[in-house]
Amino acid sequence: MLALLVIVPLIIAAFLALILRSRTDIVKYIALAGSLLSLLIAALLFFTTSNAVQSFTWFTAGQYALHITTTTAPLNMMLLLIVAFIAPLIFAYSFGYLKTPSEQGRYYFEICIFAASMMLFSISANFISLFIAWEMLGITSYLLIGFWQHKPKAQLAARKAITTIIIGDVSMLIGMLLIWSTYHTFEFSALSFVAVTPALYAAMLLIAVAAFTKSAQFPFTEWLADAMEGPTPVSAFLHSSTMVKAGVFLILVLAPIYAELHMLGIFIIFGIVSALVGALNALSEHHIKRILAYSTIEDLALMFIAIGFNALYAAVLLFIVQAFYKALLFMSAGSIMTAGDHEEDLFESFNSTKNRGLFITTVIGTLSLAGVFPLSGFFGKVAIDSAAANFSSLPHILLYILLSIVDLLSSIYIFRWLFVPMRKAPLEKAFTLNINYRTLPKSMLIPPTILAAFVIIGSVFYVTLTNLLPLPGAPASVTLLDTIIETILVVIGFAIAYMLYVKLKLSGFTEKHEILHGVANSGAEINGFYNHFTAFVGLIANIVWHFDHYCDMALYYSSKGLVKIGTILRKLQNGQTSLYVAAFMMGLLALILLFAL
Amino acid sequence: MTILIGLMLLVSALASVFILALDSKLSKRLAIAGSGIVLAIAILILVSSLLQGSLSMNESYPYINAFNISLQLQMTPINFILVLMTAIVAFAAILSGNPERAGVKTANTLIMLFEFSAIGLFTSANLFIFFIFWDIGVIALFFMINVLGSANRRYASIKFIIYEIFASSLLLLGIMMIYFYTPVHSFNISSITAAASSIPQSTQELIFILLFAAFAVNMPLFPVHFWLPDAHTEASTQGSMLLSGVLTKFGAYGMLLIFTMLPIANKLAVPIAVLAGFSTIYAAFVTMMQHDIKRVIAYTTIIDMGIILVAIAAMNAFGTYGAVYAMFAHGVTIALMFLSVGCLHHIFGSRDMKVVKGVVSKAASTGYSFIMGVFGITGVPLTAGFIADVLIFIGAIQAFGLAGALPLVGLLMIGAFFYLVVNRSFMMTKDPSQPIEYIGMEEKAGYAILMGSMLLFGIFPFLLLGFSNL
Repeated sequence: MLALLVIVPLIIAAFLALILRSRTDIVKYIALAGSLLSLLIAALLFFTTSNAVQSFTWFTAGQYALHITTTTAPLNMMLLLIVAFIAPLIFAYSFGYLKTPSEQGRYYFEICIFAASMMLFSISANFISLFIAWEMLGITSYLLIGFWQHKPKAQLAARKAITTIIIGDVSMLIGMLLIWSTYHTFEFSALSFVAVTPALYAAMLLIAVAAFTKSAQFPFTEWLADAMEGPTPVSAFLHSSTMVKAGVFLILVLAPIYAELHMLGIFIIFGIVSALVGALNALSEHHIKRILAYSTIEDLALMFIAIGFNALYAAVLLFIVQAFYKALLFMSAGSIMTAGDHEEDLFESFNSTKNRGLFITTVIGTLSLAGVFPLSGFFGKVAIDSAAANFSSLPHILLYILLSIVDLLSSIYIFRWLFVPMRKAPLEKAFTLNINYRTLPKSMLIPPTILAAFVIIGSVFYVTLTNLLPLPGAPASVTLLDTIIETILVVIGFAIAYMLYVKLKLSGFTEKHEILHGVANSGAEINGFYNHFTAFVGLIANIVWHFDHYCDMALYYSSKGLVKIGTILRKLQNGQTSLYVAAFMMGLLALILLFAL
Repeated sequence: MTILIGLMLLVSALASVFILALDSKLSKRLAIAGSGIVLAIAILILVSSLLQGSLSMNESYPYINAFNISLQLQMTPINFILVLMTAIVAFAAILSGNPERAGVKTANTLIMLFEFSAIGLFTSANLFIFFIFWDIGVIALFFMINVLGSANRRYASIKFIIYEIFASSLLLLGIMMIYFYTPVHSFNISSITAAASSIPQSTQELIFILLFAAFAVNMPLFPVHFWLPDAHTEASTQGSMLLSGVLTKFGAYGMLLIFTMLPIANKLAVPIAVLAGFSTIYAAFVTMMQHDIKRVIAYTTIIDMGIILVAIAAMNAFGTYGAVYAMFAHGVTIALMFLSVGCLHHIFGSRDMKVVKGVVSKAASTGYSFIMGVFGITGVPLTAGFIADVLIFIGAIQAFGLAGALPLVGLLMIGAFFYLVVNRSFMMTKDPSQPIEYIGMEEKAGYAILMGSMLLFGIFPFLLLGFSNL
């Protein structure tokens, strides 16, 4: 109950923003105040309360009561604190990014509810409260991705997102109801003690599917890339701490049960496929934000792989540090786009070095994502590599090689992402561009600076995480061998990107290499698969509808036929005596003939 | 012995008569007053029984003494939930369902008459008066479509009445058979329930099938649903709100009655659930091919009623609670959707999703009300539909295993399709359609009432599920 307090300021702020939407000058401050208050409460919860599960009855149906349960377990508090910490930064960044006054009320309403849903998600300890947050996240993200209603592309992206998400929602709902029907409980804590039945396997599999949809893992990757049509602060929020992290976090919480059922392998398999899909697509993409989106898919896939190896500490470490560097990188992308007058093509963005503060924070974020020692991203990534480093069997070795390839690819694409906008602008653009860079609002520069600081000091989590969080499994460790391999890969990636994009000034990487293009553009193929699938569903719908229509028409015409028969028969009773007499005579004749013969 | 149910019936009947008799200028005020009083009584019953913790009312008024038939009315929580839904939907329909202000007097007379019949039907403790109220309701809505509907109304209303008359003749036959084959020779539901096991199996089966067919037409279910899309599409906004919101619940309530009344239901539950599940998926596919938004909503009624029948056929506590809750949720949600589509048609002169564009930029309240309706229909948490879905599918999974969750696939498909509609016509504000009319405060109040009850009973479900004798 107490933990629920944390979402109250945001909910109040959301509705205040909605009511006061005409007062565009104060709406943003209301939202910021709400998020700061939430951060305060989250911090108080983190420091004062111990690990406590609180539960209250939502409603009873017959003899069973359905509860809403919240927890202040360290893992949940960790997520809550990340969300509460990132939210004010995102809101502050929005001050500068979102300037149209008429949009402010709706924007802050939706994003406050979005943040509140994620906070509710992070403190929920049973399926009911989790599902409420889960669906609210889906719906608010739908509204936020399609926030710019005048952009048809944004609407298509929002629809793709919600369609994927409701697949997950239904999957989740069936899973949790299956658990209830078998064990009469919705509590996560109770699941560890139940007897293993086939229903539990089915339910956990369905929940894994739900997590994959939310975290945009293969084969549900594409909505996340399209979701870049939303406002950049939303992307920064969605990719760093909310929404896509929900899927990973759910699996993180349920990992002991998956381990007990020996189902962790699915996370490794889908994780490595998603990581490759993400890294390769990031390499071929030209859209400045979509590169980062595919990179998020890769990051999340790495977390799933870590969970698959039951290396929960490694997963949590990347989970935390990724929130900082990904939010930072998205903010940088948004600033570059704002300066370039909403230019989204990487190769049409220039002069990113012109704003010193922006450039330095961007470099820090880039280096962290690439995995350069001693930034926090390095520890996150290498801890997962070390967890996967097991050379006992061929599949393990293969997996390690694939992971190394992913590391190399991520180093190439992120340095490409950094180098290409550094190029000098053509003369006709340079003047306005430089002015735009110099006049970027403070609200768009301060939040990334704070995040950059956390990207640097985030490395301490590597040491302190075991003290902060009690989790099953070995603490995250970084071995020397993996450090060396990772560093070599980063250097190679850096060199390749430098050669191609700084020395040779290539305008694209994959267009000239047809084979690579096919592999690196798997996103389009996944889309193609879904197009075929929807076409197939449409075909069935068409057949069923025609069946329905023809049945209806058949009924209509058969009733017409009945009327027709009536019309014909009516003519027999027309009152003309001559006709009756003639008919009588004919009948008599027929009878006589019948008897005579 | 209370008089509250009788009072509700009396008020609505009197309101209907007075509206017809008095000047048409007064008709809306009278109708608002009448349905407002009924709603107030319903809320009074809710509050007082929440304080008591249980709800059980029985009333009896003399009717045909010669045949020992009286106007026996009962109110258990299940009856009450449906009555409350009727009161809310009828009040909202009268207040706001007529943005064109066309045929106000006729419409209000018929709505009050229909409200009378619906409350009577949902509270009747006696199959004879159940049948009488059934037919009054059907006739009231027939005129609602035939007089106040749109261009193709005569075809649609005749189709509707043929199906419904067919259903009522089966219903009457079934009721008569029950009367003659039960040893007690009674119409009273509780005495029939007590005595039903002594009816021979084959007769019971016949009775069940007769009544099932009657209710299936009304619900409607797959092979007998053809009246519904035309009737809903051609009816006026108020007509569709009542048709889909309340009339289809007659059948669902009847299903609930026969499943509790006749023990043979145990044997037939599985095939019926299969039929209902098939009906759901079938309707989901058909819905995907529609582009008239009102027709889309009409077809979703088949989907939701199929899900409700699956829950009833589960024959366990969760399924029954879920079915009743879903009837409530579906009633208010679908009324909200029909209201918003009716206003949409009024504002833009069209309701074709290929024609109407950018509703939220030009008619924000209508657009967002429709979107809220979509959330409610697809069972998003914090709407009443979510509670219904959770209860229904717990019941269905308990009864039929994982197969019980299959209707959710229908819901998933319809959700995906609804977001397509929302995107194309509501959210995408590039080159929006231009409004030709505007709606007033009354319509917005209607949105608020329906949306409010959808959310209120979604956030605080214990208001309807808190009775100890549910």
